[in-house]
Amino acid sequence: MTKDIKQGIAKSMKNIDSANHVTGKSIYVDDIPVRVGTLYACAYGSPMAHGKIKNVDTKAAAEHAGVYSIITHKDIPGENQIGGIIQDEPLLAEGEVHFQGQPIVLVIAETEAIAHAAVKKIKVEIDPLPVIVDPREAFAKGELLSTPRTFSLGDTKKAFAKCAHVFEGQAESGGQEHLYIETQGAYAYPTEHGSVRISSSTQGPTQVQRATAKVLGLPMNKVEVDVTRLGGGFGGKEDQATPWGAMAALAAFVLQRPIKYVLHRMEDMKMTGKRNPYTSDYKIGLDKDLKIVALESTYYQNGGAAADLSPAILERTLFHLNNSYFIPNVQATANSCRTNLPPNTAFRGFGGPQGMFVIEAAIAHAAKELGVDAIDIQRKNLLAEGDEFPYGQIAEGCEAINCWDEAVERYDLEKIKKEVVAFNEKNTQFKKGLSLMPICFGISFTNTQMNNARALVHVYSDGSVGVSTGAIEMGQGVNTKMVQVAAEIFGLDPKRVKLESTNTTRVANTSPSAASATADLNGKALAIACNDILARLKKVAQDNLGHDEKTAIEIKHETVFANNKKTKLTWHELVQAAFMARVNLSAKGHYATPRINFDKTKEKGHPFAYHVYGTAITVATVDCVRGTYEFDCVKLVHDFGASMNRIIDLGQTEGGLVQGIGWMTMEELMYNKEGRLLSNALSTYKVPDIYAVPREIDVHFLNTDNPNLAIFRSKAVGEPPLMYGIGAYFAIRNAVESFNPKAKMAYSAPITPEKVLMGLYS
Amino acid sequence: MAAIKLSINGKSYEIDVEEDMPLLWAIRDYVGMTGTKFGCGIAQCGACTVHLNGTPIRSCSTPVTVAVGKKITTIEGVSEANNHPIQQAWVELQVPQCGYCQSGQIMSAVALLEETAQPTDEDIDAAMQGNICRCGTYDRIRKAIHRAAEIKSDNKTLSKK
Repeated sequence: MTKDIKQGIAKSMKNIDSANHVTGKSIYVDDIPVRVGTLYACAYGSPMAHGKIKNVDTKAAAEHAGVYSIITHKDIPGENQIGGIIQDEPLLAEGEVHFQGQPIVLVIAETEAIAHAAVKKIKVEIDPLPVIVDPREAFAKGELLSTPRTFSLGDTKKAFAKCAHVFEGQAESGGQEHLYIETQGAYAYPTEHGSVRISSSTQGPTQVQRATAKVLGLPMNKVEVDVTRLGGGFGGKEDQATPWGAMAALAAFVLQRPIKYVLHRMEDMKMTGKRNPYTSDYKIGLDKDLKIVALESTYYQNGGAAADLSPAILERTLFHLNNSYFIPNVQATANSCRTNLPPNTAFRGFGGPQGMFVIEAAIAHAAKELGVDAIDIQRKNLLAEGDEFPYGQIAEGCEAINCWDEAVERYDLEKIKKEVVAFNEKNTQFKKGLSLMPICFGISFTNTQMNNARALVHVYSDGSVGVSTGAIEMGQGVNTKMVQVAAEIFGLDPKRVKLESTNTTRVANTSPSAASATADLNGKALAIACNDILARLKKVAQDNLGHDEKTAIEIKHETVFANNKKTKLTWHELVQAAFMARVNLSAKGHYATPRINFDKTKEKGHPFAYHVYGTAITVATVDCVRGTYEFDCVKLVHDFGASMNRIIDLGQTEGGLVQGIGWMTMEELMYNKEGRLLSNALSTYKVPDIYAVPREIDVHFLNTDNPNLAIFRSKAVGEPPLMYGIGAYFAIRNAVESFNPKAKMAYSAPITPEKVLMGLYS
Repeated sequence: MAAIKLSINGKSYEIDVEEDMPLLWAIRDYVGMTGTKFGCGIAQCGACTVHLNGTPIRSCSTPVTVAVGKKITTIEGVSEANNHPIQQAWVELQVPQCGYCQSGQIMSAVALLEETAQPTDEDIDAAMQGNICRCGTYDRIRKAIHRAAEIKSDNKTLSKK
């Protein structure tokens, strides 16, 4: 039990949307009733990955029956620029194209079907330029999206000289299609005074607002962005919802008509970026006791054709290069490489998982060469309280060892080990593999400036409460947590609290819902606003009850308590009294995470409010004839802090795990040398279905009271569990090696059944 | 264009659409019921699942004319009081996360329960394999279908009494 939640109303609270979700009543962008006169947009994407645009012929498309207008970069009243971190991304291509599917022309028609048909009649002539799809090739040619970054700790040169064992190798992790089941989309219409309103499926309403204002040449106050909820985001709608919102707004503004643009699945897969693929080099040094003494690593991130969020993702790779281990000597450089693929982008974990895969590969490599169990190396090197991260932060409230030991004991690792060995001795066609995967994930945007949020609270005169925050509900249950915060502080039945849509006119200058930090940042801002109103109400209660200002007032279960004694005054009466006394019943709250800092010139600081820890035990069974596999179980201990909503947090853990398993095992993105996406539909890109889920998922809540920078001490949970999926990769590998101890397999994910088969018989 | 008569959730609708229009668009854009979702357009994700005479089908890849003369059931028509055992179990076990695929999941699960009163894990996997949930709620889907089977059999026992 947490100290911070007193009412107990909230901890088992169900998602406020669940009744609507099971009856089809929840509204997503595509479900918004359209206004009279609505037109539909569809973009023509470049057929080539790199080249100079010679000619754009839209005549046949314009003459297609039902086409209303054709829009190109020439129609943009403001700046043709939507780049976030770096201004390197036009909304509609002009002069050159840099990836297949890059939008060049926007067709506006009476129906979606007509718009799609007319797009096929557009002819664009392009003089081809060389295409790069491989990040190492891009690096060799000097094609970088941003300045390389280097983190260092200790002295690796000296340290390697003293190491008993040194191993070098390469590790690769593939990209990942977000495959939010709701595709990207927006609905925009012109409003009074030359303004525009956009309903967008975005994790970053302010990003859509800022980019649209720039494209339209408007001040930000003339662009309103509203978001009800997303049918999945996973990072894919952090920056990459922006083009579609800006395109719909552009057409709405220029044509003064309502414009809807919801992407077809194949358009979405072709035109949007994915998780950044990485290829990396490592050199790991251990002493004779298997302590990791030094790590040198170089990361080549496939950034795609524009910076998008890749420079920030690159940074998080470095922040997680040591995963959950203490490494005293580190020299690590990360390069963001420009290729001719759609701009790669945020995906749950944001570069962290890619960094963690490399250190896990290095440990597995060392273990294999030394003939020891990787588990022994992992356990010996876990982070402990007071250890220094390569970026200078000191581990505080470190739960790495607690999580690991709890998992080993609770799930009886020795017994699992014996069962796996016994099974493998008896069976030839099927082999089992076991892995442990510890995780450590830093919570906060690594860009310190972004760690702030605001909330707006109205208590209406009838006692009902309206809450607006900058948080976007995308399935992570943040809106439910926001209701919990308000209900908890006011001592109310959560039914009295209504969560409003996320809207830039009510809460401005928001950071995107990302980095697992949404509930913390917005929840803390909301708590400040609620406490503000509560303080005013307490004063009214003292006056109303005839008590002096020393009387302790509390509101519990909608009733006022004075000095711990129940009074006759109810919440409803208190609010009415306050209203009659002309007391302000509205408040805004602003929260900026304290303490955090990071100096990029030194690459040192204290960038994270806190870290989340955990350990997963995974057992996989491989069919050594077919190369297929399934997961017997994943048993994990996760550091939730003091979870404020166990059912939501458990759902995030189960779902993150499944998505991580998908990334590491079956999800294989394929581009050809011309930069064309081959895995361009759900028939060729496979994500986990019900068969892919482990037969057994056990989650133990490690309750900790440390993180007072987490909302109600309930730690952020969105991203960390995805990284348990890395354990699936190594469990499969271990099963393969049990069949063929001499298996030659690169440390390359995803470990598809094809790769397993090759490994089994290598 | 042709005048097409559809029977959806027990009500008749007459709409004027192309004969090859996918049933999904007819339901969403012409009848105005938006509970059924578009996911992939090629019958690979299951978000658009509705029932034709009780059988789950992918409405994104079914021409509207195929549905003429048949009973169409959508998420809006699964139960009168939003209390089908599947819906109850879904809320009780908190299956949905983002919610977008859940109409389709529920339609597949309802059909499974009609056919098999007490489905095994294997039955569930076979019936639900065509419905993708990117939030990864599969473990809860399995548990919720078992729970719905329980609720349904309890209801039957109660109504017999």
